[in-house]
Amino acid sequence: MADDAPLLEARDIVVAFGSFRAVDGASLAIRKGEIIGLIGPNGAGKSTFFNCLAGERQPASGSIMLRGRDVTRASPEDHALLGLARSWQVPAVFDDMSVHENVMVGAFLRHPHAAEAAAAADQVIDFTGLRPVARARSGSLGTPARKRLEIARALATEPEILLLDEALAGLTPTEVRAAIDLVRQIHARGITLVIVEHVMEVILSLAHRAVVFNQGKVIAQGAPRDVVQDPGVIEAYLGRSLSRKPPA
Amino acid sequence: MSAATIPTAPRAAGRWVLGVAALAALLAWPLLVEDEFIQRIGALVMLSALSASAWNLVGGYAGQISIGHVLFFGCGAYASLLGFTWFEWAPILGAPFGIATSLLLALIVGSPTLRLKGHYFSMATIALAELARIVVVNTPALGGAVGVSGPAMPRSVLDLSFISPLPYYYIFGSVLAVLLLFTWWMSRGRMGFYLRAIRGQERAARSLGVPAQRYKLFALLVSAAFTSLTGSLYAAMLGFVDPDSGLGILLSVKMVIAAALGGAGTLFGPLVGSAILVPLEEMTNAAFGGGGTGITYVVYGAIIVLISRFAPGGLAEIWTWLRARGTRRGG
Repeated sequence: MADDAPLLEARDIVVAFGSFRAVDGASLAIRKGEIIGLIGPNGAGKSTFFNCLAGERQPASGSIMLRGRDVTRASPEDHALLGLARSWQVPAVFDDMSVHENVMVGAFLRHPHAAEAAAAADQVIDFTGLRPVARARSGSLGTPARKRLEIARALATEPEILLLDEALAGLTPTEVRAAIDLVRQIHARGITLVIVEHVMEVILSLAHRAVVFNQGKVIAQGAPRDVVQDPGVIEAYLGRSLSRKPPA
Repeated sequence: MSAATIPTAPRAAGRWVLGVAALAALLAWPLLVEDEFIQRIGALVMLSALSASAWNLVGGYAGQISIGHVLFFGCGAYASLLGFTWFEWAPILGAPFGIATSLLLALIVGSPTLRLKGHYFSMATIALAELARIVVVNTPALGGAVGVSGPAMPRSVLDLSFISPLPYYYIFGSVLAVLLLFTWWMSRGRMGFYLRAIRGQERAARSLGVPAQRYKLFALLVSAAFTSLTGSLYAAMLGFVDPDSGLGILLSVKMVIAAALGGAGTLFGPLVGSAILVPLEEMTNAAFGGGGTGITYVVYGAIIVLISRFAPGGLAEIWTWLRARGTRRGG
C-alpha cells in the first residue's frame, strides 16, 4: 500500500430502499490523518452512506476499500479487526454493565486476556475523562456520559479510523466544547476521523474537509468555510433564505 | 488500584468464609436429614439446577431464549436408556451419544436462526423439540408413546442405580460444581463479556469486533452438551423415560423459570430458583396427589407474571437492590 493511498475509499456507492435511492453513486476518499465532516440536510443519505463505511450496511453496488482491502461485503466485526471503529447516533451502550466493563468489551479485541483488557480499558477511561463514573452501571448515565462512553468503547478497539455518528448532538454548548476538545485529542493520537454532524460549529471548528450530501450524492467538498459559502450548498443545506447572510 | 484493595480486602475474605460455609452446608445437610423424601427433593433440586444452569449459558448470559432445551435433555435421557434397551449398556454409557446427538441438533437449530434477530431462535427451538417429541411418539423402535426403561435390577455400580437418593444428590452436585466452575471462569473472561455485550446490544457488540454468531453458537453448544448430560443422569436415576417426561415442553419451561426466578445470567440464579421451585412442586404434588399437577402449572404462571412485572432480573436483582440499600444506609 502506497503512502498516499487513501485509508478508506468508497466508490460509486448505491443504496436503494425500494425505488428510492438513498445513496445514489456517492464516492469519497479519506486519507490518513484527516478529519472529515459529513453534512447535508435530513434525508440526504449521509447516515446511510456512513453505515456503509462502517460495514453495518452493504451497498447495492459500488466498492469500499479499507487499508487496501476490499471490505464492501465484510462484516462489522471484520471492519473492527481492520481498525475501523464507530459510535452510534442513538447511544448503544451495554446498560447492564459498568462503564469500565463496557470499555473492556472494546479492549478485548486487541487484548484477549482479561487483566490486559482491564488495564487497556483503564487507560482509555482516563483519556476520555470517564474516571469518576468508571464503576457506575452505564444504564444509569445521562446522555453526555453515554456519548462519551460510546467514543471510549470505540477507542478501546485501538482503531486507525473512527466514525462518529452525531456524537455531539443533544449536548449543551459547554458539553459540545468539551467534546470538541476530546475529538482534537483523539486526532492528536493519529486517529483519522469521519464525523456526521448537524451542529455547524463542530464542522467549522474541527473538520479539515467538509463533504456535503444532498439527495444521495456528494454535491460539494472542500475546506468547511469555503463549502458553507458555496451557493449550491447553501441552497440545498441551509435553505434559500439564508443565501443573503452567510453563516458566521 | 492499590487504594481500592484496602477497604475491599475484609469483604473479599468475608466472601470466602461465606462461600466455604455455604459449600459445607450443601455437602453436609443431606447427611443430617434422615427423611428420604427430603433427600430426594435435594437430589431433584441439583438435577433442576444442573439443567437450568446449562440453559443459563445461552438463555441467561447470551440472552438467546431457548424454549426447546428439553430437546437436548431428551437426547441424553433417551440415549442412556436406548443404549441399555438395545445393547444392555449401563445407562450412563449412552451419555456421550446423547451429547453428540445434542451437539448436532444444536448446530442444525442454531446455525441458521442465531444469525437472525428477534424471536426466530426461540420459535425454532420450540418447533424442533415438539417435532422430536412427535417423532418419538410415533416410532416404536424409540419406545413410542410408552417410553423406554433402564435395568430393573442394578447389575453393577456403573448402572448408577441406588435405593437411597443420597448418591444422586452428590453425583448431580459434582456435575453442577463442574458446570458452575466453567460458567464462573467463562464469565470473567472475554467470552463472558462478549456474551453479555451480545445480550445488551448485538449491533454495537459486532461493531466492537465481537463475532456474535460464533459466540452465540458456541454458548448453545456447551449448553446443549450439559443439558444432554443432565438428561442422561435423570434417566439413570429414574430408570424410565417417556415422551412427556423426556421431551415435554413443560420441562423446557421449567428450565427457563428456574433460571429466571433466581436470576438469568447470574452464576447461582438457577440453583436458587431450583431450590425454591422443586420443593414447591414436590409438596403440591404430595399434598394434592395426581390432581396437583394442574396446580403446578398455575404456580408457574403466577411466577412468570410476578417476575416479569416486578423483577425482570429475578431474585438476584432484588438481592442487589437490597445490598445497595444496605450499603447506602451503612455508609
